[in-house]
Amino acid sequence: MTSQPDEGGLGRRGLLGVGAAAPFLAPRQAAAQPAPPSLPLKERPDMTLTLHINGKAHPLTLDPRVTLLDALREHLALTGAKKGCDQGQCGACTVLLDGHRVLSCLTLAAMAEGKEVTTIEGLAGADGALHPMQQAFLDHDAFQCGYCTPGQIMSAIGCVQEGHAEKPEQIREYMSGNLCRCAAYPNIVEAIQAAKPQMGRA
Amino acid sequence: MPEGMIGQSPVRVDGRAKVTGTAHYASDMAVPNPAWAFLVTSAIARGRVTEINEAEARQVSGVLDILTHRNMRGEVQDAGFFAGGGYTSTTMRPLEDDRVHHDGEIVAMVLAETYEQAREGAYRLHVHYAEENPAAGFDAEGAELVSAKDASKGSFEDPAVGDADAALATAAVTVEADYATPTQHHNPIELFTTTASWENGRLTILEGSQYVHGLRNGIAAQLGMDPSLVRVESPFIGGAFGSRGSLTQRTALVAVAARRLRRPVKLVATRDQGFTIATYRAETRQHVKLGADKDGKLVALVHEGVEVTSRPDPYKVAGTQTTCRMYACPNIRTKVSILHADRNTPGFMRSPPEVPYMFALESAMDELAVKLGMDPIELRRVNDTMHEPIKGLPYTSRSLMQCFDRGAEAFGWKQRNPEPRSMRDGDWLVGVGCASTIYPTHLGAATARVTLTPNGHARVQTAAHDIGTGTYTVVAQAAAEGLGLPLEKVVVEMGDSELPPAPVSGGSNVTASVCTVVMQACEQIRARLAAAAQDGPLKGRDPATLRLVDGTLRAPDGTAEPIADAMGRASNGAIEISAENIPKGLPPDSLKKLYQGRQALGAGLEGKEVAMAAFGAEFVEVRVHSRTAEVRVPRLLGAFAAGRIVNPRTARSQLMGGLIWGMGGALLEATEIDQRRARYVNDNIAEYLIAVNADVPKVDVLFVEEEDRQVNPLGIKGLGELGNVGTNAAIANAVFHATGKRVRELPIRIESLL
Repeated sequence: MTSQPDEGGLGRRGLLGVGAAAPFLAPRQAAAQPAPPSLPLKERPDMTLTLHINGKAHPLTLDPRVTLLDALREHLALTGAKKGCDQGQCGACTVLLDGHRVLSCLTLAAMAEGKEVTTIEGLAGADGALHPMQQAFLDHDAFQCGYCTPGQIMSAIGCVQEGHAEKPEQIREYMSGNLCRCAAYPNIVEAIQAAKPQMGRA
Repeated sequence: MPEGMIGQSPVRVDGRAKVTGTAHYASDMAVPNPAWAFLVTSAIARGRVTEINEAEARQVSGVLDILTHRNMRGEVQDAGFFAGGGYTSTTMRPLEDDRVHHDGEIVAMVLAETYEQAREGAYRLHVHYAEENPAAGFDAEGAELVSAKDASKGSFEDPAVGDADAALATAAVTVEADYATPTQHHNPIELFTTTASWENGRLTILEGSQYVHGLRNGIAAQLGMDPSLVRVESPFIGGAFGSRGSLTQRTALVAVAARRLRRPVKLVATRDQGFTIATYRAETRQHVKLGADKDGKLVALVHEGVEVTSRPDPYKVAGTQTTCRMYACPNIRTKVSILHADRNTPGFMRSPPEVPYMFALESAMDELAVKLGMDPIELRRVNDTMHEPIKGLPYTSRSLMQCFDRGAEAFGWKQRNPEPRSMRDGDWLVGVGCASTIYPTHLGAATARVTLTPNGHARVQTAAHDIGTGTYTVVAQAAAEGLGLPLEKVVVEMGDSELPPAPVSGGSNVTASVCTVVMQACEQIRARLAAAAQDGPLKGRDPATLRLVDGTLRAPDGTAEPIADAMGRASNGAIEISAENIPKGLPPDSLKKLYQGRQALGAGLEGKEVAMAAFGAEFVEVRVHSRTAEVRVPRLLGAFAAGRIVNPRTARSQLMGGLIWGMGGALLEATEIDQRRARYVNDNIAEYLIAVNADVPKVDVLFVEEEDRQVNPLGIKGLGELGNVGTNAAIANAVFHATGKRVRELPIRIESLL
C-alpha cells in the first residue's frame, strides 16, 4: 500500500544486493492527495552506455531510469533474469556483477557500466554443456514452475563462490533471499551441495 | 525402457529450458515495437471517482493514451462469472463506470512508448474520489450476510443427514469450537502480465494462464468477437496456484489499448497491484461441533462456515462438502454463508475448499481425541469408512489408515508422550501432531491430437498447461508408454489455444484427464498399425494382441516388426489421431463446455454413483521457544495414497511443496487488512510472509501404493493440491501438544502463544 516511492530497503530476509535505485511503485495515490504543482515535463535525454554481458559488449542508448533488469529483458532480449517484484524482495532477477550476486531490479543499468555482468544465458558452455549448478538443479528437480530458477541458480553460484555453502544450514540461510513459491527449497539445497564440488574442480 | 514409462521418474522434459533461461514465460516473448501499459488502481475501497486530472500525465514525454471509465464505458461486455458457468474472475467490468468497488480496483491505464514513461505517466495521473465508508469483512458495519443456499438461487444445498442436534444432545463426549482462517494471496513469483497484439482483426494474447481456452473464449465474449479470431499463448507459467484460472479485468483493457494504438501493448502489473487485480483466498470463520460415544465413534458433526466475498459476486468454496464426507457419522448438519463486503472477488487458491475447512475439522478431531484420552490416529481409525456418509456412496478406494500407519512408523509417532508440555529440549518445548488430508479426484473432458511420423517420432498436442506441475513430462510419459517409444522421441506442445482443448489446470485434474485422452489417441494409432500388420511378418496374429513396445509392433509370441515398417503398411505418411474423452460419470455436455472454454470439472466427492478422492496423513514436529514463543518446524512428513503415480519425482516435488505451503499457511501467511479503510496493508512479498529456504525443515514424502481402476482407466488421482490440506491442523495440533495451548485462528504467530 505504498503511495510514495519506496526507500528501497532490503527485504525481510534479504541478504543480497545493492539497494540503490528504487523504482516508482504503483501509483495508488492517497485519497486526499493534493495535486503536485504542474511541472514542465521536458524530454528526458537518453544516455549512451556500454554493458559487458556474458563476455560481450553491448552499446546501448537508454532512459537513465532503466534498471539493469529491464535493460537485459527489454533492450537486449536476455529474458532469463525474471521480474518477480521489482523491489528487491524475491531474488528472481539475481545476476552476477563482477562475480558477485546482485539484484538487477535494484541496480540501474548505468551502475553496471564497466563491470562484467553474468546472466543465466552465460553459464552453459559454447557446446551446450550445462554449468554444474544448472545440471544439479535439473537432476535434483530443484524447481517446479521454473520462474525463480535463473535467479536461484545465479544466487547459488554466488553462494558457493562466497564460501557460504559449507553446510546445509548455511546454504538455507544464504539462499533465503531467493523466494520459491513452489517451495522446491529442500531440492535446491541438495542441488547446491551436489554442484559445489564440481564447481571446485571446474 | 519405454514400456511402463508411466511410473518412472525421468527428469522434466522442459527442465533444460528452465535451467538455461530459455523457457519463455508470457512477458519474455518478444513482440515488435510494443507500447507499455501501467495501471493506476484505486486508493479507496468504496465510493466514486469524481475527477481524473490527466493534464500532467499527458505532458510526460512518450505518453500515448490514457484509458479511464470516461473513454472505456461499454467497451468490455459481460462474459459471465466463472463460478456461474462464465469466464471472468468477477462480474465487475473493467473501467465500466465511476464506481469503486474495492481497494486497488483498476481506475486507469496509462500507455506510453516505454515502461519508464508509462510508470511516470501513471504516477502523474491525479484521481480524486468521493469516499464512502467501506465494510472490510467480518464485524464490519454494512457487510451483508447471505446463506450460500439463498445466494445460489437453488443450485447449492448444504449437505446434511440424520439429526445432528438431537444426537449431540445425547452424545457421551462433545467438542464445540470456533476456528478462523485469514485472507491469503497466491503470490506466484511471476507477476500478472499481459501482452496483446492485433493483426488483420485477429487478436493474440500472451499471458500466463491455467486455462488458455477459457481465456480465449472469455476475451472473445468481452470484445464481441468470434473466438476463432483470438489466440492465447501460455507455454510456460511462473506459478499460478489458482490465480490464473479465470479471466481477470486487465486482459481486456490491454487488448483494447492495443487496438486503439494499433500496435502491441505490454503490461507487467506490479507486485502490490497483484493483490487487488486478481483473486485471493478469502478469510473464513467456522463453528464445529462433534459428538462421539465413549469409544470415539462419531455420532454427530455440525460444521458451519462463513466466507468473505465481494459485493456483487456470490463466490464460495464451501469446504463442508468435503468435511462432511471425511468420517463415518450418522448425523451431520452443515451450513455455509457468505459475507458480502467491499473487497475484490476471491477465487481458487490451492485446495480452495479443503484448506480452511479441513483446518477446522482436523483441529476439532484432535480436540476430541484429547477429550477422549485417545490417540488421534486411533480416533481416525474408529471413524474410518469406505462409504461417504451423506448419500452412502462407496469410495472407489480410500487408503487413509494405510497412510497413517505408514506415516506413523516412519515419523516415530509411538515415541511421543501424549501429555501436552511433556516433551522438552533445552529451552524449546517439543510437540508432535498429525492430521488427515484429502483431495477430491476431479476429472474433466479433454481432447488431444497425437501424430506418429514414419521415422518413429511422436508429437502430442493439447491445450493443457504446465504450471510447474510437470504436465509436459507426464504427458510425454503417457505417449511414450502408449506408443512404445523412448521419451526423447516424444514432443509435447501445450499452452496454446490453437491446440485441441484441455481443461483448466485446476482441481488437480489434469494428469488424469489429459493422460487418459492421450492414451486413447495412442490406442487408436496402435489399432491402425495392428490392422495393417496382416500383410507382414505379423500375419495371422490377432490385431487386438499386438502391442507397441520398444519401437516395434510386437505379438505375444515375440514376433515383432519395426515401427517404421508397420507405419509403411498403414499409411503413406504420418498417422495423426484426434481423440476426445468424457470421463465416466461426467455429463455428456462436458465436451461441449470444454470447447466453449467453460469450467466443467466433475466426479470427486459429488458424483452420482461413487466417491473419488486421494488421501494422506501428515505429521509434524514443532518446537516452541519457552521464553519467546517462536515456533519452528524441524520436521514435516506426509504419507499419501493417490492411485497410480505417473512420475514419482515430480509428484514428490509437488507434495513436498504442498507440505511447505501448509506450514507457511499455518505459521506465516496472512494478508492484513486495514479494517477502517478495507485496504490490504502488507501487499508485497517481504511483508506478506511466505516460507523462505531458512524456514524449511526436513520434509519427507512417502507414497502408499494404491490401485484404483475405477477412477479412470489409468488409475490416476490428482495430487497437486493434496499436500497442503492437512498441514495447518497438524501444526496447530503439534503446537497444542508442545504448549498446552489450542490455537484456533491462523496463522499461529508468537502473539497467539503469549
